[in-house]
This record gives sequence, structure tokens and C-alpha cells, in this order.
Amino acid sequence: MSALGTAILPNTEEYGRVLEFLHHEAELLDTYRFAEWLELFAPEIEYTMPVRTTQFLTDGEGFHESGFFVDDHATLMTRVKRLETEFAWAETPPSRTRHFVSNLRLERSAAGPELEARIGFMVTRTRQDLDYQLFTGVRRDLLVPDGDAFKVRRRTILVDQTVITATNLSVLF
Amino acid sequence: MSTTAPRPAAARLSNGEAIADLARAEEGLISRRIFADPEVYALEQERIFARGWFFIGHESEIPEPGDLVTRSAGIDPVILVRDDEGEVRVFLNSCRHRGMRVCRTDRENASFLRCPYHGWAYKNDGRLMTAAAEEHYEDGELDKEELGLIPVAKLGSYQGLIFASWDAEAPSLDDFLGDMKYYLDIIVGRTGGVEVLGPPQVWDVETGWKYATDNFTDNFHVFSAHHSLVELGMLPNDPDFAAHGHMIVAEEGHILHLTPGAPNEHYSHMGLPQELRAQMAEHLDPDQVEMARKTAYSAGTVWPNFHWLQLMSSGTIGQPDVPFLNFRLEVPISPTRTRMWSWLAVDKDASPEYRKATYETYVRTFGPAGIYDQDDMENWEDCTRASLGPAAKQHTLHHKMGIGRAVDETWPGPGRAYKDSYGEMTQRSWYAAWRTYMSREHRADVAGELRS
Repeated sequence: MSALGTAILPNTEEYGRVLEFLHHEAELLDTYRFAEWLELFAPEIEYTMPVRTTQFLTDGEGFHESGFFVDDHATLMTRVKRLETEFAWAETPPSRTRHFVSNLRLERSAAGPELEARIGFMVTRTRQDLDYQLFTGVRRDLLVPDGDAFKVRRRTILVDQTVITATNLSVLF
Repeated sequence: MSTTAPRPAAARLSNGEAIADLARAEEGLISRRIFADPEVYALEQERIFARGWFFIGHESEIPEPGDLVTRSAGIDPVILVRDDEGEVRVFLNSCRHRGMRVCRTDRENASFLRCPYHGWAYKNDGRLMTAAAEEHYEDGELDKEELGLIPVAKLGSYQGLIFASWDAEAPSLDDFLGDMKYYLDIIVGRTGGVEVLGPPQVWDVETGWKYATDNFTDNFHVFSAHHSLVELGMLPNDPDFAAHGHMIVAEEGHILHLTPGAPNEHYSHMGLPQELRAQMAEHLDPDQVEMARKTAYSAGTVWPNFHWLQLMSSGTIGQPDVPFLNFRLEVPISPTRTRMWSWLAVDKDASPEYRKATYETYVRTFGPAGIYDQDDMENWEDCTRASLGPAAKQHTLHHKMGIGRAVDETWPGPGRAYKDSYGEMTQRSWYAAWRTYMSREHRADVAGELRS
């Protein structure tokens, strides 16, 4: 993405702050603190998960304009408020999720103070007495500095699966 | 009506239960055994998935010569391709030599398909062009003319919707769709045609396929299953809000709803933008236009597993509902696992602004992450889990709503119409067709019974 950016290496204070921010976010999601999670997003957030297909590498990585998520701040807030009702059956009773964040690659954008964080994610989900559902992929976050922390301005969730082997996508990424 | 009785041996399960007793559709009693049982599933493969007509894809998915996508016809893997001459074809995705899948992507553009195993290569019209090590075959050992990719027995399209059947005895697509064409015209022909936007969403749900199928023409689950949206003020706080309009039962097991929304202009003509509403009179007859005018929500099933959802919803609290047209397909993978396919369709003449609005609304509210749809999958999975045991299989489900309701003789369209959209006549009709397919050994008897 921001090919002209400057790499920020793991031995820097900034890298550590981004990693702490990402871990904090994962903890909020895994402890059902969805309203606090929403506060991590900038008002102009673009939150998308494109549909992926299996195709030859010469035709690209297989991501498309159509998506599984195409959210903005108001629709993310709607999702959060829905989870706060007693009737969002897909998460009532709630799933147990674990958001794993790894392989952080961090760049400062050429144009401004934004940072692009690319992570490998793994989300496990189990609910009721059921086996695990697994979501893996790459997340590309555009982070804008906000005091000592950040706000997420853009999140692109690039899943590895072309067929999502899960009941639904009622978990957040 | 055909007078050929089903052969008892072929119409019973190994425990002696008659297929006819498993779906007592006229009484609204459907056995739980049929939803997740391996023996029923095995029989469905022969009786339904080898004999029906199945949705394969939409013509707009393969606009150019050589465009292809991989799909299922029934439950068999197929290639849907537009050949170099522009003709749409559907082949079993399997080499004639050892059965290897010859196309292993979801989509590509190709003039030739070359099997990775031994290198047999096929033209995109299915002809075998080269085999491997051809000089080692003696005369008569390799008849390339006879070894093209295996085509479906029947192929047809209606309003851009491509259907195929593996059964040469099946009625023509035109006969199979029958009266349903009148209603398909309202949904996909209203402005001269629709197209799908992007590749479909695909996901696997741990459900017997029929629990999903049953849900698509069910309006009265909405107030409970989607009650979170009522709580948020995104659906009317009125248990009867989607109870009005008509349910229609057509021949061959096709079923649909035409349901009005709130009585105002926003919800008329399925909520479509004014410029699209204005086109309807060119493409529909006056009765159809009047049906469209009165409709905000429509769900329909082309038997057995293809559906449309023409709905209005919002992904944002406090924002007005926006219409969208969703095509859905359930492909069984096992007795308890089903692959869900979901496409967004939009009128070809739609503006860029409307395309964006309808696409975003669909993705936010339906499909696997949709704030409506995600709760449906939860229901189907838990229905399936509760249907696995021998005790459960002794019992029936309850599909009696509206069993005594009279046909609305004033309805101007084809099929049998019933007032109100809360009722289970659509599901009862679907299960009656299921029973016919499953009970009848001979294809002609299926068609005969379904049109009687």
C-alpha cells in the first residue's frame, strides 16, 4: 500500500506504542467492551472486508470490490448497539473470541503523520458447546496519532478464505 | 394427474417409514427426520439433485468470451463458461480421463482448460483438443470426438438467470418455471434486466439445507429472529408489520410473497428510485405494475434452492430503508453442512449513486455479516443440532398456519394466491414438491404430479 512510506522498526518507542494499541484493541473485543472499542475509530473510518476468490496469481490476489463488510462509523455503532440488545441471537449468548495480533509491519506514510500497520490476524471463536471457528488473514490499518494513542481511520481486512467456514461474521475484526 | 403409483420399495426408508409420511404437507406436519438424516440425504442426491433444475449463475458474471466461474449444478461441481463463440455452457468440472477437476479457480478467462493430471486439454466449448501421449494409443483407443467435457443434460436461462439440469427427462426450463416467470418478471425483468455486482459471498453453515430453504418465504420469523432491529427502531415495533399482502403458490413447488411496507411513497414500487419505477410500465403489464407498486418486500423460491430477497432495510440506526435485490442459493455438502451463495443484483439502468447505496445496504444487513442475516444462520444451525437424535426424529415440525385459508379468487396473477404474508402455505407447497420428487421413481410422474 504506502510503498513510499518509511519503515518503523521494532526497536523504536513508536512501534511499541502501536503494538500496545493493537493489543489493547484485541482485549476490548475479547472482553465484550464494544463501546470502548468503537472509541478507537476515527469518525471517517472506512472498515471493509473484501470478498476473495481463488484465481491464478497472474490475475492478482483475488480480492474484489464486493465485500463481507463495508462499514463506516455509523454502521459500526449500529453493530455495537445491536450487540448491546438482548436479542442479537448470533451473539446471545455471546461467543468466546480471541483476537491474536502478530507480524506487525509498520510504516509512516510519505504524506503525513499517519502510520500504516499491517498485521497477521487470527481470530478464534467458540460458542455454546461448539468447536472452534477460525478466521485468519492480514489487516491493514491506517492509524492517525491521537495523543499517546491512535485512531483507526481505515481498516482493510484481507481474509485468507474464499469460503468462510463459519456460521456467520457476527464477530468483529 | 398421473395414475402411476410410487413403487413401495423406492418410496420408503430402510426403517420402513414411507417418504409420504415424512412430509404430510396438507396437514402441516413435517418430520424432523428429513432435515439432517444421512439416508434421506442420500436419497435426495438421486431424487432431487440429479433430477431438478438448478440455478448456476447470472449471465452478467461471464460477460466476455472465455469468462468462466466454477459452481455447482445440484451438488455436482461444474464450470459455467461463455465459449469463444459467445455461447453459455455448463460442464461437469471433471476430466474425462481420471476425473480430475480441470478448472481449479473460482473464476478466470480461458480459451482452453488443461487438466493438470495428464495434460488433457479442452476448448472452452468442451471439445477435447489434445490428450496425453497420443502416439501411444492404437487406432480406436482414443476417440477424442466422444471425450469432450460432460455437459449438463439441459441448460437454459430466463431474464439472465442461468439454470441447468442433469436430467434429460426434465421438462424444459420454460415449462419448469411456468407461472413463476410472471413473478420473476416483476423482480428481475421490471426495468429490462438486472446484473450482479461482483463475485458472490460464499460461506459454509452447519445446517441441513432445508432449514435454510424453509426460512426464505417465512415473514413471521422477522419480529422475533430479528428483534434486535426492533429494539433499535430499525424495524416497526408491530408484530404484524410484514403480515399483509399475498403469498403465492405456483406449479412445480415455486413460492413467493409480495408484501407491502409502510403505506407511503417511500415503500411503494419496492422502494426503487423514481427513474427505475418509471420504466416498469414498459416492461410489465398493468397488473404486474400494480403488484410492484404495492410491494416493499418480496421473497421467492424457485424450487428447490434458489431464492430472491427483494427487501428494504438500513445498516444505520435512524437512516431510511434502502431497497436491495439479493439472490441466494443453498448447496448441500453433507446432511448437516450447506454452502451458502449470495449475490447482490441491481437494475442495469441504475445510477451510480443507487448502486452504491443498494450495495452497502445489502452488505450491512444481509449476507454472513449482515445485521439481519447473521441471526438466521444461528437459527438454522441450532434447528439442525436439535434434529439429529433418534428421539427428535420421531416428531414433527409444525407448519399449520393458514391451513384453512381460502384462495383469493380475485388475484389477477397466476398461481394460487392467499391474502396476508403470515402463513405457511408456501412451505407446505415446497414440502409437497419435495415429497413428490422423493416418492416418484419416474421423472414423468414427478412432473405430472406437480402440475395436477
